[in-house]
Amino acid sequence: MVVAVTNLTYFLAWAYLDPRSNYVGRRPPLSEEQIVNLLEPRNLDDNVPLLERWWTWFSGIVFRWDWGVSPTGQSVNEQVAYRMWISAELMLGATLLLTLIGIGLGVYSASRQYRLGDRVAQGTSIITMNIPIVVAALGLVLLAIAFNNAVGSTIFYVTGASSPGVSGFFPTIVDTAQHIALPTAALVLVGYAQYHFLQRSLLLDNIKSDYVRMARAKGLTKQQAIRKHALRTSLIPVTTQVAFSIPGIFTGAVLTESIFAWKGMGQYFIETISKNDINGVVAVAAFGAVMTAIGAILADIAVVVLDPRVRVS
Amino acid sequence: MTTPVLSVRDLTVSFPSEAGRVDAVRGVSFDVGQGRTLGIVGESGSGKSVTSLAVMGLLDDNARVGGSVMFEGQELLGRTDAQMSKIRGNGISMIFQDPLTSLTPVFSVGDQIVEALTIHDARLSRRAAWDRAVELLRLVGIPRPQERVKSFPHEFSGGMRQRVVIAIAMANNPRLIIADEPTTALDVTIQAQILDLIKTAQRETGAAVMMITHDMGVVANIADDVIVMYAGRPIEQAPVDTLFADTRMPYSIGLLGAIPRVDKSEKRPLVPIKGSPPLLVDLPDACPFAARCPIVTDACLTAEPELVAVGGHADHRAACVRAEEIRAGRLGDDPVYPVPEVPASTLETVPRELRKPTLEVENLTKTFPLLKGSFRKKKVGEVHAVKGVSFDIREGETMAIVGESGSGKTTTLLQIMDFAAQDDGDIRIVGTSVADLQGGRAERELRRDVQIVFQDPVGSLDPRMTVFDVVAEPLRTVGMPAADVGPRVDELMDLVGLDPAHSDRFPAAFSGGQRQRIGIARALATNPKLVVLDEPVSALDVSVQAGVINLLDELKVRLGLSYLFVAHDLSVVRHIADRVAVMYLGSFVEHGDVDAVFDDPQHPYTEALLSAIPVPDPVVERGREHIVLTGDLPSPTDTITGCAFVSRCPLFQTLDENERVACETKVPALSGRTGVHVNACHHR
Repeated sequence: MVVAVTNLTYFLAWAYLDPRSNYVGRRPPLSEEQIVNLLEPRNLDDNVPLLERWWTWFSGIVFRWDWGVSPTGQSVNEQVAYRMWISAELMLGATLLLTLIGIGLGVYSASRQYRLGDRVAQGTSIITMNIPIVVAALGLVLLAIAFNNAVGSTIFYVTGASSPGVSGFFPTIVDTAQHIALPTAALVLVGYAQYHFLQRSLLLDNIKSDYVRMARAKGLTKQQAIRKHALRTSLIPVTTQVAFSIPGIFTGAVLTESIFAWKGMGQYFIETISKNDINGVVAVAAFGAVMTAIGAILADIAVVVLDPRVRVS
Repeated sequence: MTTPVLSVRDLTVSFPSEAGRVDAVRGVSFDVGQGRTLGIVGESGSGKSVTSLAVMGLLDDNARVGGSVMFEGQELLGRTDAQMSKIRGNGISMIFQDPLTSLTPVFSVGDQIVEALTIHDARLSRRAAWDRAVELLRLVGIPRPQERVKSFPHEFSGGMRQRVVIAIAMANNPRLIIADEPTTALDVTIQAQILDLIKTAQRETGAAVMMITHDMGVVANIADDVIVMYAGRPIEQAPVDTLFADTRMPYSIGLLGAIPRVDKSEKRPLVPIKGSPPLLVDLPDACPFAARCPIVTDACLTAEPELVAVGGHADHRAACVRAEEIRAGRLGDDPVYPVPEVPASTLETVPRELRKPTLEVENLTKTFPLLKGSFRKKKVGEVHAVKGVSFDIREGETMAIVGESGSGKTTTLLQIMDFAAQDDGDIRIVGTSVADLQGGRAERELRRDVQIVFQDPVGSLDPRMTVFDVVAEPLRTVGMPAADVGPRVDELMDLVGLDPAHSDRFPAAFSGGQRQRIGIARALATNPKLVVLDEPVSALDVSVQAGVINLLDELKVRLGLSYLFVAHDLSVVRHIADRVAVMYLGSFVEHGDVDAVFDDPQHPYTEALLSAIPVPDPVVERGREHIVLTGDLPSPTDTITGCAFVSRCPLFQTLDENERVACETKVPALSGRTGVHVNACHHR
């Protein structure tokens, strides 16, 4: 499946993107010969028949695990390998936080259904869920700048993943934290609500179920019964969804990375498209497909671990 | 007299709702003494379950509870959840209705029993708790408890799960066990096992039992005292013998009159209670039963009658202004309920052999392949859902198929409805063999003659179609001119006892019994010869059920219909059927005229099945011997060489070695008086 998708993307990318246009209209203008000389060794020359281009590209992957180069000659392999971890650095913390906050709030508001706490939490989540990430990010940037000005020094950095020239263990951590705080906050702010609502409704279904009443009839208090019996069963579908989102850690967040100038996978995606980097685009798509597949496998494993009903006897 | 274990006084429960305050329980008082069993009977919505949940303190937070609940001298109402949790599962424990949903699916049964033990005794070691769990499982009759204790609930059958629930309820030697419809979701043979088990649990722990049920037979079987509830109030309260022998309140009389009896052959029509229970919102100060009561007087409408002692017995109390006039269900010389007329059929005078067959089934077989493998499904075996079933139904005749769930009754019906061609047999409907059907047109023609009524009156009607459209749909399908459809729908509505003026309403506006009547009207639309009824009354309350059964009886006579009736309730079958077949694991084990089979059951399985049904008469019920089958229905995937019933057969246990050989190696064929009464047992 992944192979089919990747190859299809390759042809689609050639149908829409034109590496040649990167060079047309340059000052001073490049001659046709110069452009071909630039493109041809990178397997990006549209004068070569498409099938031949495809074979060069495909055999490169199959035999040498070489995903090609960008129009400027950078190796796609290196780019992906490097940017994947930049994205992971950003997304890992954000995913963890928004999952925990979402599930926690879901449990809180489900056990206080229709009371003030539930209504406040729900109202807040509805608002945050509907804030576009761009607005959230830019809003946070403005707040952070105002905060920096107020205290008179740079506490929060609003661009980049790290400052140049920082070395040593603790200074690096502090520097990273200063950079990572804002994008993480933005991602958590708009992302946690989905888990909040999912967990709340699933838990509510289970709180009303017979076995929770049975657990209370055994002598557990309502809170104990909810925590032990209802939560465990309602976590199964939530975990499935979380497992699906884990690969997203590596594929990155397109808009957030662009706004905060993190050179991660998301930003790479935009960059490859705008620069007609066919090999890059295809690599991003293939990476995404592999990650989705891994997510599905993780979700299955999670269900098997949590739910004895699907274990094969 | 010692202080009762539980003493409830003037219990009231109300819930807020959109229509106003719902008074679900309106003043219930009773005592339950040690070792005694109190039965609370009533139909759905009578407040019996709410009463039990109020005692347990398990009602929703928005419920308002008033009155007093004293458990061993302590007031329970007004306690916090934390305080109540010390008593729940320890002093009072509860058995819920549906064993399929009352165990947490992700924990092993052992874990769930251990939890019930350790939550009340923190000093109990894990080891000791597990040992006790195994011990409890053995006590409730789970085979191989050492291994089964680690199983998860989905690995148990419904009856087994209910045993686990009872084990949990017994775990801490409670003084009071509340059982809320513990057997309603179970088959009769399992019901008999569970009722026995509850009695065992009571003997072991000396507990008081509160048994909530809608089944008068269960009450007669297990209860010492009975409360009949209606519209949130007890309307009659008495020791069990008095209640059945000297019923005073018209509603209790109606409940008893509405149930068919498995032990009596008389074909008297059942006495339904007309109407439906009132909504419990803003009840007027009048007898809540007045609108349905056949002997209502003006005095009934002036004030709600109090529950007072009647007949000079302090322990027999009824809430009826005319209770003193009523003796044992009769008012003077007349029964309280007028017995409805039953029209006699002209067909009944014609001998069975001379009537035309409407359905002939020969050697009906259905197997499902067992598949294995995740990508390429390999066939690893077959499930024989139905094995070589043959029968015929004549004009104006009702044939019933009975059996436990999983016995293949519904599969048989679906095969007939599907017009499934048989490899080595045949299905003939009014003389037309399904094997001869060529093309969709012939099939549609034949489909007019066979119609079906489903079990669930809620799920089988499209909620977004008006009743008119529901009933008219089959008419339009068979191409009736539009001008004729309207009058025909009115005629059908009238036929099933519904007001034709209501046919522009949606199904949601009708009660369960009325919806089932709509389902019947739809089935009759095309003037079928044969109506297939799949558990048509099992989802209905008894008082409503009687009305539907009477309707079916009447329609059969008026329209000359034949019924193929599938049910697990043998009392209903005895009442409605002319012929009956008992099905076990896909085959008929006994087949014949209904009275022959019920009065002289020959196959050990039929015997057990019949004896398992509690009779709504405490005197008869105490004298009856129940044959309690051990174990569950074997899985249909097992390969069985001989008689399928061997694993549970009580007769087999009494046979000597030589006689057993036949049971274990030879599949028994149906034998006996052909066409009248046959059974499939080597030794009967």
